Amino acid sequence: MLKYFIMTAEALLMGAIVTGVSMGYARSRYPKSWKLSLLIGMALGVIGAGVMAYLKNATRLIDTSLWNMRNFIAAAVLLVLFLILTALQRPLHKGKLGTAAEIVTCSLLGLESALIIFYALPDVLAYPYVILLTEKSVLSTTFMLKTIGIIFGILMSIVILCAIYQGMQRLTGTGRFLLLLLVLLIHTARQVTVVLRIMLTKHIIASNHTLFEIAKFSSNHDNWFTFAAIGAAAIIPVLLLVSSLHVDEPYRNPAEHRKIRKKWRLTRSWSVLVLVCMVCSVLNLTAIKTYANREIALSPVEDATITDGNVVVRFEQVEDGHLHRFAYVTDDNVQIRFIVIKKPNSSAYGIGLDACDICGETGYYEKNGQVVCNLCDVVMNVNTIGFKGGCNPIVIPYSIENGSIYVPIDGLLEYEKEFK
Amino acid sequence: MNKKLIGIALVAAMALSMTACGGSTESTTDTVESPAAAADSDAAQADADAEADAETEAEKTEAEVKTDALTDDAVDGGFTEYPIFEDEEVGFLNVSAVYFQPVPMSGGNESIEDFNIHLEADVSALENNLGFGVGDWVPYMTVDYKVTASSGDTAAEGSFMVMSASDGPHYGANIKLPDADTYSIEFTFHSPEENGYLLHVDEETGPGGSFDDYFADGNLVVTYDGWEYVPQEW
Repeated sequence: MLKYFIMTAEALLMGAIVTGVSMGYARSRYPKSWKLSLLIGMALGVIGAGVMAYLKNATRLIDTSLWNMRNFIAAAVLLVLFLILTALQRPLHKGKLGTAAEIVTCSLLGLESALIIFYALPDVLAYPYVILLTEKSVLSTTFMLKTIGIIFGILMSIVILCAIYQGMQRLTGTGRFLLLLLVLLIHTARQVTVVLRIMLTKHIIASNHTLFEIAKFSSNHDNWFTFAAIGAAAIIPVLLLVSSLHVDEPYRNPAEHRKIRKKWRLTRSWSVLVLVCMVCSVLNLTAIKTYANREIALSPVEDATITDGNVVVRFEQVEDGHLHRFAYVTDDNVQIRFIVIKKPNSSAYGIGLDACDICGETGYYEKNGQVVCNLCDVVMNVNTIGFKGGCNPIVIPYSIENGSIYVPIDGLLEYEKEFK
Repeated sequence: MNKKLIGIALVAAMALSMTACGGSTESTTDTVESPAAAADSDAAQADADAEADAETEAEKTEAEVKTDALTDDAVDGGFTEYPIFEDEEVGFLNVSAVYFQPVPMSGGNESIEDFNIHLEADVSALENNLGFGVGDWVPYMTVDYKVTASSGDTAAEGSFMVMSASDGPHYGANIKLPDADTYSIEFTFHSPEENGYLLHVDEETGPGGSFDDYFADGNLVVTYDGWEYVPQEW
């Protein structure tokens, strides 16, 4: 659940920030024209994302990289047009074209939002499909927990969008425009680096050492852009909170005074919410993400006796149906681990090395009664443990006598190199 | 009201124009050559000969990539193979390496959550005395892969699984490779005999050779240095 919450929140974060600042700016700057353009833009983005999610996962029609490239180039063109129109706004407003220019400017922001939603949302909408590749049923607990994670991630993004939108509206004119410009430039800068990477990978442009190094650096530090956008968004509450310390708006009567005080109380509340959202986003991308993706510690190796060249495991040690781990330590101090699990509804035991051909010595852990590979998260069919294939534990020789499992040390030593 | 209508018309017109823009780009990419065709056309220019050095334990081949070839993508709608190196010859094997998006596979390997790419070794037989037709896929091998970062650290390693895709059987695996870097890649091919593949040895029906003809000095190894890899959004 946590992992999908973080994945969703991370995927939608930049979109929430860009859309939030765009909406907030448009509402304040163009109070008469903003609503329809922005809302239509967002609706187009969501509908397009739904169609794209379907096409990406159910057909062979979509090359994601190419679509992203088109999307980003279109977004950059929109940004340039927006800046030109904004620069021309003053002279245009003096003429009859003022209203049309206003609507076009809002529409450009609406389309900018549509494009970022169209880019970010399809993957999130496709997460349930990805989960179902392994879970098979929408009624499984895992599917439901992961879906709840996705829903919380979407909700958090909506809260971020709303908080930033509210905060932006309360900024003054110049600060509001500069902040919008800053966020859009950060967003566009990231898109430029992604377009470069796509063009290099697809050999649309010839690669050379310098371009590859730029692509490599930008790819390995892609989250810098996200942190920059978070930093830019965090300026909103800082400016508002500083302003709220020096309120000297004139009022004519106590009612007006109460109104002003209420306005600034509300402003402080939205500011705090934006700050909280940004702090949570930073935590999501750092500490919580690290925690969610941490390696699961394997259960400790249990005691087993060594008799006549065999590691001997008594039935009573392993008959509880849970995963048990044992090991033999070689003369070179290499610990060769193997696992034993009693198969469900059977008196048979699944026995194999605590390693597989594909993922190496990463080991297995038990989760909700299932045995899972620690590296690739593949869930083993317990009944097939002891058989060769896929990510199953490497098969080792053993025999069963007198209520004990005998695993020959010679058989284990053959796999010493797996554990080095 | 008029304002609203103008707004709707503008947004719709812009959205349509962008769709049209996307459509025109797509028609260009549809003309991209298939890998086979591209390989044919570029083969003359490409310096792809392998230098097979018999070493103490294994026969090693330094692979090269046909650098001009990325139009070499096998574009089939959204399924594009990205070549790493092509047509390296080692022993009786012709080896190419490609990667593309992580793919769900049967047998409990459906999860693609934590992987960045599907790495694939396409292996076919050259002239041989083992009974394989030239161009046939060679089964029953254990194929180990190792991806080494420019720092010298191992970025990924393991053994490929055997599987079939729409373009036929191959050795491959989903792997986690999140960092852009210039990687070295090494494939080690074990004899099919290790996995119980048998040859007729009588004069009348046998192919005339043995696996020792190719594996007597150890496993067959293909290495390629200088794989410039940047993760993609799939």
